[in-house]
Amino acid sequence: MNAPISTLDARRAKAVEAFRVKGVPHRRVEEWKYSDLHAVLGADKVEQAGAAKWAVETLPRGVELFDLAAGNPPDWVQQRLGSLSNTGAMEAASLAFAKSGFALRVAKNGSGEVRVRFSGEGQARVLVVLEESAAVTLIEEADEFSGFQNIGVELVLGPNARLTQTRLTPKADQAIRICEIAASVAKDAVYRAHIADFGGKLSRTELHIGLDGAGAETHLSGVGALNDGHADVTAHVVHASGKTRSTQLFKYVAGGHARGVYQGKVTVAEGANGSDSRQTAKGLLLGNRAEIDLKPELEILADDVQCAHGAAIGDLDAESLFYLRSRGIPEAEARALLMRAFIGDAVDQIESESVRASVWQAVDAALEGLS
Amino acid sequence: MLEIKDLHAKVDGKEILKGLTLSVGAGEVHAIMGPNGSGKSTLSYVLAGRAGYEITGGSITYKGEDLTTMSPDQRASKGVFLAMQYPVEIPGVTTLTFLKTALNAQRRARGEKEVDAVGVLRLVREKAAAMKVSEEMLKRALNVGFSGGEKKRLEILQMALFQPALAVLDETDSGLDIDALKLVAEGVNALRAPDRAMLVITHYQRLLDYIVPDRVHVLSAGRIIKEGGKELAHELEAKGYEQIIKDAA
Repeated sequence: MNAPISTLDARRAKAVEAFRVKGVPHRRVEEWKYSDLHAVLGADKVEQAGAAKWAVETLPRGVELFDLAAGNPPDWVQQRLGSLSNTGAMEAASLAFAKSGFALRVAKNGSGEVRVRFSGEGQARVLVVLEESAAVTLIEEADEFSGFQNIGVELVLGPNARLTQTRLTPKADQAIRICEIAASVAKDAVYRAHIADFGGKLSRTELHIGLDGAGAETHLSGVGALNDGHADVTAHVVHASGKTRSTQLFKYVAGGHARGVYQGKVTVAEGANGSDSRQTAKGLLLGNRAEIDLKPELEILADDVQCAHGAAIGDLDAESLFYLRSRGIPEAEARALLMRAFIGDAVDQIESESVRASVWQAVDAALEGLS
Repeated sequence: MLEIKDLHAKVDGKEILKGLTLSVGAGEVHAIMGPNGSGKSTLSYVLAGRAGYEITGGSITYKGEDLTTMSPDQRASKGVFLAMQYPVEIPGVTTLTFLKTALNAQRRARGEKEVDAVGVLRLVREKAAAMKVSEEMLKRALNVGFSGGEKKRLEILQMALFQPALAVLDETDSGLDIDALKLVAEGVNALRAPDRAMLVITHYQRLLDYIVPDRVHVLSAGRIIKEGGKELAHELEAKGYEQIIKDAA
């Protein structure tokens, strides 16, 4: 008799099949309309991609770390890894083909800051499990590289857990950067994420968040300061339970041949009464070769909910610009000041002062090229 | 200080200034009075160098230099200041950050040393007290949620901070109650100096009771049609623009 196939192996096998059926997403797939991955990446490249290098730079005491490249995953990894899978072709690919990655577990009431760095091309898989009332800040940084990188992240937040994630991806003109995040947020837990993307050949962060228990919250924010290149945030928040809250605030500044994309879908499931959701996405379009696509979307299946969404794209305000210049501020500096002001409230969502400073630094460098 | 000769200017293809001539010397305060649509605001924007205000004839000479070829920021760093009728609200930029950025941009352009954050704060506090601009206002986004009076006080605070050689005040009295008007006028009067010229643009004589001008010019249909001393303002108030314009014709 054959040895029983582990749950994890079964999920991986399913993921291989899912990727092969779906293939690399192209612009005729609705969710990938503004980010034609197929045009820049072949399926063979995905299947043959190597292992993305990663390093956990700070790890608080009491946080368990397991290297997925080492065999024999412990039970908690076996049980969880891939359990939030099947959100899309690229997510399936990272589960199916990634040869590297790690799993983190934070025990009940544990807390601290975890810094992770991904470098170079390849695929990786990440699992983060927060037990009840654990509170962790996850800071993800990346090096500039060329080639294809695909990272699949699963986040499991237990009751009353707090996870604050920041993803800072520097400008990398020759990088195809995909990150798919799936999160399950239990009762009274709060998941915050900030995505600062300075553009790649194609750069996309996809979030699938389930507010699965009453009182669960998610707060998403992000900035794209693009003087060329592409940056896409596609988020789907499902209010699966009642009395859940979600907010989203995304700001893009695009010049040159840049393209900024935000797609935000909020689903309030049947019976998820008392849910509250707000979405704001704004774009500043500089020059006529840049493009910003903002697509907020609401799907409400419950009766008693509060939902608001808004999206707007504009140019720098001529009156404001004249006012600043009439006070002696040269045009380029005045433009940068207004762009900074436009982006500011989204950057200010970042709680960590040091991360906020790094993001501002990257924003200022990008704006210099735009003003 | 300022010599405007036979100035013609267009806005949206329409000629608004039609041969305006005006001369303001150092140490002098001149008032420009005129009815709505006479070209008062156009004149102030032309002096500040706003885009869309096209000069089609004549000249503007400031301290012997051609002002018309300078960018708005160059004009400011050379000492031209326009207190605007409608100061612009700029969300996301705190008032103090704005003041610091502007002050140092002007200093940099003149080849002077920049002032550090502490120095700027000290300078601003000194000027803010006189204009009753609170610390809390300085921390707020520029002009956002400010009342009409607060906006105008902040304009005069800027004038005190930047110490311009030529200050143009465009309808600084509009939207002010009498207490605010007095406060603003006191701020302006405190800045009268032998090396500074001021051009006070207004519709009503009221402001000129507090900022007493050396000369008064009446602007009508894009030209100065009458000039006189401070008593001309009272004559205007008594007779009305229509009569004065008729008399001048």
